[in-house]
Amino acid sequence: MKAMNKAIKGRQSRKVFKKEMMWSYLFILVPLCTFTIFTLYPVLSAAITSFQKYRPLGSEWVRFDNYINTFKSNLFFKALKNTFVYSVITVPVSMLLSFSISIMIIPFRRKVQSAFKAAFYLPAIASGVALSFVWKWIYDPLPTGLLNSVLGVFGISNQNWLGSSKTAMASLIIMAVFAGLGQNIIIYIAALLGIDSTYYEAADIDGAGFFQKVRYVVWPMVKPTTVFLSITGVINGFQSFQNAYLMTGGGPDNATTMAGLLIFNRAFKYFEYGEACAQALLLAGIIAIFAVMQFKLSSSDVEY
Amino acid sequence: MQKRAIALLMSVVMTAGLLVGCGGSSSSGSTEPSAGTEPVAAQEGETKQESGEKDVVTALLPPVSGTYQEKITSYIEAFNSENENIEIQVTTASWEDMTQKLDVQVNAGSPPDIAFIGSDGVSKYLDMGMAVDISQYLPAEKMEDFDEGVLKYFCNGDGIYGFPAYCEVQCIGGNREMLEAAGIDWKAVQQNGWTYDEFREAIKKGVKQDGDKTVYGFLFACSGVAAKDYFGIFVKNAGMPAAFDKDLKYAYTSSKMLSFLQDIRAMIDDGSMPKELSGIDAGKRWNMMLTGQTMITGKGLSSFEKSAYDNTALLNAGDPNAVEDSIPVEYIVLPVPVFDGGMQQAQGAVDGYICLTGEKDPDEQHLKNVAEVAYFLASGQRAAETCQELYLKPVCETGRTEYEKLPAIPDKNEDNTAAVEFLTTQVAEARPDIPAELGAKAIRIEDEVILPKFQGLLAGEITPEEMYEAIVSAGHETFGEDGCVAD
Repeated sequence: MKAMNKAIKGRQSRKVFKKEMMWSYLFILVPLCTFTIFTLYPVLSAAITSFQKYRPLGSEWVRFDNYINTFKSNLFFKALKNTFVYSVITVPVSMLLSFSISIMIIPFRRKVQSAFKAAFYLPAIASGVALSFVWKWIYDPLPTGLLNSVLGVFGISNQNWLGSSKTAMASLIIMAVFAGLGQNIIIYIAALLGIDSTYYEAADIDGAGFFQKVRYVVWPMVKPTTVFLSITGVINGFQSFQNAYLMTGGGPDNATTMAGLLIFNRAFKYFEYGEACAQALLLAGIIAIFAVMQFKLSSSDVEY
Repeated sequence: MQKRAIALLMSVVMTAGLLVGCGGSSSSGSTEPSAGTEPVAAQEGETKQESGEKDVVTALLPPVSGTYQEKITSYIEAFNSENENIEIQVTTASWEDMTQKLDVQVNAGSPPDIAFIGSDGVSKYLDMGMAVDISQYLPAEKMEDFDEGVLKYFCNGDGIYGFPAYCEVQCIGGNREMLEAAGIDWKAVQQNGWTYDEFREAIKKGVKQDGDKTVYGFLFACSGVAAKDYFGIFVKNAGMPAAFDKDLKYAYTSSKMLSFLQDIRAMIDDGSMPKELSGIDAGKRWNMMLTGQTMITGKGLSSFEKSAYDNTALLNAGDPNAVEDSIPVEYIVLPVPVFDGGMQQAQGAVDGYICLTGEKDPDEQHLKNVAEVAYFLASGQRAAETCQELYLKPVCETGRTEYEKLPAIPDKNEDNTAAVEFLTTQVAEARPDIPAELGAKAIRIEDEVILPKFQGLLAGEITPEEMYEAIVSAGHETFGEDGCVAD
């Protein structure tokens, strides 16, 4: 009987493979090739390079030296700490703000909603270099600087925003929060529009107020979106590079040196590709651990 | 069925398209010649020679001066028409893209034959095994065309890896009217230099309160990595012209470093420099110079005279393109002050044409052609016109000869010209004796310890003593106590 079932299943699977799966495999082939060429091959190549002293005309095997050097480097751990701080502050603040703004935008008519969405999304389509110029102007350290002038109205003395290790990281975080709001708002609004109006009607009948609706209707319904945004936000946070590179160069006193910037410098400033690859793989491992932890912790009661 | 056929065709085209970029000829992809065969480049070279085909020399060039990229076409046409066997092919890049483009090509194993770089990059490309020693490919008179001290910036050991285009003196500069108002005899300073104490007193006199704005005595762009320039330019006059002394001992562990750092901090504590110095970038610094918010600024280049002159011309013409709130400024070139235990030396930024190869066994004739092209680009009329635009004197004899034939720059401040020429004679000597490996370690300390701590020092977050301790600790850890200067 078992043998017969197996034979039937085999025939079915072969039949399915012939009639249906062939097309699936064919269409999968395109992204599979893309993945292999642009992701899998570079990752494998980086893994090999991490055990080498890379030279274009002939690399040299150095065993675990690149990993040992990385673990001996205080700067690597400082960069990891900076990256962690940057991510764990930027992601929740950005999500909280974008969720709140989305809630405030959603009652408007479609056209007004679109105007708000466009306004908040604008920084996402602007060039990072152009944005850095604007933020440098905002963070002008002299008393006549834009942000310092505003503080001056309240009697607060001017701050050396990017030049002091006390404020440099906070300055980058503020910049990142505002730059990332638009995308989160668009996604949250899409999620909010997907909530069936009957939930609100039922809440109204039960006499729920605005905050109760947000707490007991909206929040659980957009939780899958929140989980998605938090995981992708942390991944992006750990990979952050541009703002530190353009605004502070990692300074002062390495207060804003992120792991991404450290890897970039190792590879493209010092041509130490082997060590850069070792650091990149370690960072990838750390990101993977965080992503899995986040998913496990936050997705247990998510309704999909 | 027709839909499926179209879909199949599309997916095949897309897949094939992806794979197109992965194809490569064995000649460009392989650097290992197979056993029993001649190196690919050599074979190609011979074939070209036999067939009379031109040998192509590639060059990656930035906008070296204002009109350089416009003029390069006519330079190349002239060369190509005079040299039947060689053809120069130029790729231009912006200054911002230059390093990245070059590094990508170098790391892919296919660099251009010639690239325009700062001489501090020579050891990097040499360490990668891609810089070509051109000393064997050109006659001695072509090497001797260049000033020996400047040419050494493109040397390492006994090898010559390129030719310098110019030597830019990096110093400081002031606003003539404000200098004179503060009673500073700037002509005497240009001729005789000044000590740190004299400089410190002078910049104190430049500080004024203009309404809600403070006018500072001295300002240097120090935001981010620019702080490295401040350190690098000033430390030369503190008795440490290079990271290693003549015995190849790490010099920055000297006690002179501590007093130098204390002096640097004192100028901020005096109020002569803004306490927000660590947050001021190059653009802001120049804006403050043109708007009269500082008497002296750094780093200063000769060409800043033109920039200030042009803005003043716009102001006089009532042109709205003049910098907002700017004032007429006559830019005066000034030397960096001399610190205790130091002697006057200038920082020379020597940029030029490095010769590279991506082949393990490159064709000798091709390398000779590359060396000829590098010499052509760095000498004669090319050097003269480029240097004049940058307000510099050429660093080769053929360049100077051509320079004399060019029409003079109108309204050029001759005191500045003389000062720059004088400072050029004081440019710190090149150190081709420092092995690339030692140099790389020193650069790493500079980037990972000195620069971050210096930023902290300027921000008032660490003391000179703490920074000195950090440098000594890093020096001892990297080079051992015996490898460091102890005095």
